[in-house]
Amino acid sequence: MKEPLALRVLAYGVAILCSVFFLYPYWWMLLGAFRSTEAVLTNPLALWPEQWDLTAYRNMATVGGVSIWSYVWNSIAITTGSTVLGVGITALGAYAMTRRPDLIAFRILRSGFLLTMMYPYMLLVIPVYIVMFKLGLLGTYAGIILFLALGPIQFFLFEQFFRSIPGEVIEAAIVDGASEWQVFRMIVLPVSVPIVATVTVITFLLNWAQWFPVLVISRSPETYTLPVALLNMTGELGVNFQGIMALAAVTTVPATIVFLVAQRRVMQGMSDGAVKG
Amino acid sequence: MSAARLPVAANKVWVFYAFALPFAALTLIFGLWPILLSLSVSLTKSATALRPEPDYVGLANYMTVLTDPIFLRSLFSTLLYTGFAVAANLAFALAYAILLHSTLIGPGKTFFKIAMFLPVVTPDIAGYAVWRWLFDQSFGAVNAFIEILGLPPFGGISSPDTVFAAVLIAELWHHVGFYILIFLANLAICDRSLEEAAKIDGATRWQRIRFVILPQLRPALVINGVYAIIQFLKTFTVVVVMTKGGPNGATNFVSFYAYRLFDQGRYGEATAMASILFFIVAAVALAAYRLGERGRA
Repeated sequence: MKEPLALRVLAYGVAILCSVFFLYPYWWMLLGAFRSTEAVLTNPLALWPEQWDLTAYRNMATVGGVSIWSYVWNSIAITTGSTVLGVGITALGAYAMTRRPDLIAFRILRSGFLLTMMYPYMLLVIPVYIVMFKLGLLGTYAGIILFLALGPIQFFLFEQFFRSIPGEVIEAAIVDGASEWQVFRMIVLPVSVPIVATVTVITFLLNWAQWFPVLVISRSPETYTLPVALLNMTGELGVNFQGIMALAAVTTVPATIVFLVAQRRVMQGMSDGAVKG
Repeated sequence: MSAARLPVAANKVWVFYAFALPFAALTLIFGLWPILLSLSVSLTKSATALRPEPDYVGLANYMTVLTDPIFLRSLFSTLLYTGFAVAANLAFALAYAILLHSTLIGPGKTFFKIAMFLPVVTPDIAGYAVWRWLFDQSFGAVNAFIEILGLPPFGGISSPDTVFAAVLIAELWHHVGFYILIFLANLAICDRSLEEAAKIDGATRWQRIRFVILPQLRPALVINGVYAIIQFLKTFTVVVVMTKGGPNGATNFVSFYAYRLFDQGRYGEATAMASILFFIVAAVALAAYRLGERGRA
């Protein structure tokens, strides 16, 4: 089909304009991190820094009285911990539930899980504070990691995948005398590598961005992650525009890199997890 | 569904229980328990809520909340904002997905897809912090740009008249890529030959979109509709970062108001508000879902 040139130019014009809308805030953030506050005030629209001003990064040693490295470390530890734990637990749980959908207990569990996921997240976090208080997990990494472990997209992706494994293969192995653990480890796990990778990347991105549960379960900035530190900084008195942009960049760039490396996987996974759910 | 698969080795039920145990434990402790707790706390006096033996006051908190003029105003603005936001996001996503899918866009499609999805994976706090400053009267690029065009300045988040629009733009930036993605997934499984046939029969481009493509997009429209309604009824992060409920309470949406009460230790009222919002979210989502299902049958 050959399309008229004028229409094609118009279509590209609109797509480029929309892409500028999506991408410009990034560029502005990165510029803002490297331009002095005065420079931004004089010319907010500059597309390139007058000079590379590293003050923000040099002054970033502490935010809210805590070392910036503490936030970086917390972000990495909490995101990695909750991702590994969540992927493992969700995979095992979803596998059991798809193998034996006939068990009443599993049907109840599935409905309970779906109800939890439907409950407005930030309103769930309020009573979670009370639960953490009762369990003595307030202000601990364990509390934050355990709470972040489960998510709906992860569950749906695993459930969908395990349903697609033909039952005959598993049955044949069991007839040959394999135990359930052997079936899981030697038949199911090897074919699950791609789905585990997809769920891992998506969970990592989702949990990297988490801030509200981290804020609520924490007792002090000692367990804050980068997004929470950034929120704290935006709430501080006085305008540290350059510092905020610099910290926003530090928070965003790791997620951006992970996404760009795995963009196909992430977009495919996100749409599968949403559509089939 | 997997109804066709026979349960094998039924004697080994305990193995599956063992597999699912950690998942069940997390769902119970950090999902169902908090929800039940929230319901029970909403029936207690705030000052005693965290004690082992709280004072139960029946529905008093619900009465307090439902007669609180600030809450009613908050509820109204939440519903109004949700209406605008859902309409804007779905319209934008639908139009953009159809554009990206059309034969008009050839090379560069991957770039356009990455560009529209990048904001979705950007930590929302960071994205909204940047938008908060983009809208700033003295720092912001938005007004500097408008000035070049010779248009009157945009009040952004500092004026009650424009704050809805400002918050909506920032949220659209963050969320719309997800809705575009769902529409694109639906378009990918649409039957291209129907479109070709309509073209040969002399249908105009608009007629093809209206009568061939749109009807096939119903599943994505239902999914996106339900997701978007739930999403925007809960609008929270953007308020925390950009407006703190202001100016003049214009963006004091229900989840933000509930959180503020919680922060002040008014647990009873906060959880009562949470229950009310949950009820609305569940009812609206269910209604939207039913409507979509009925349309399909």
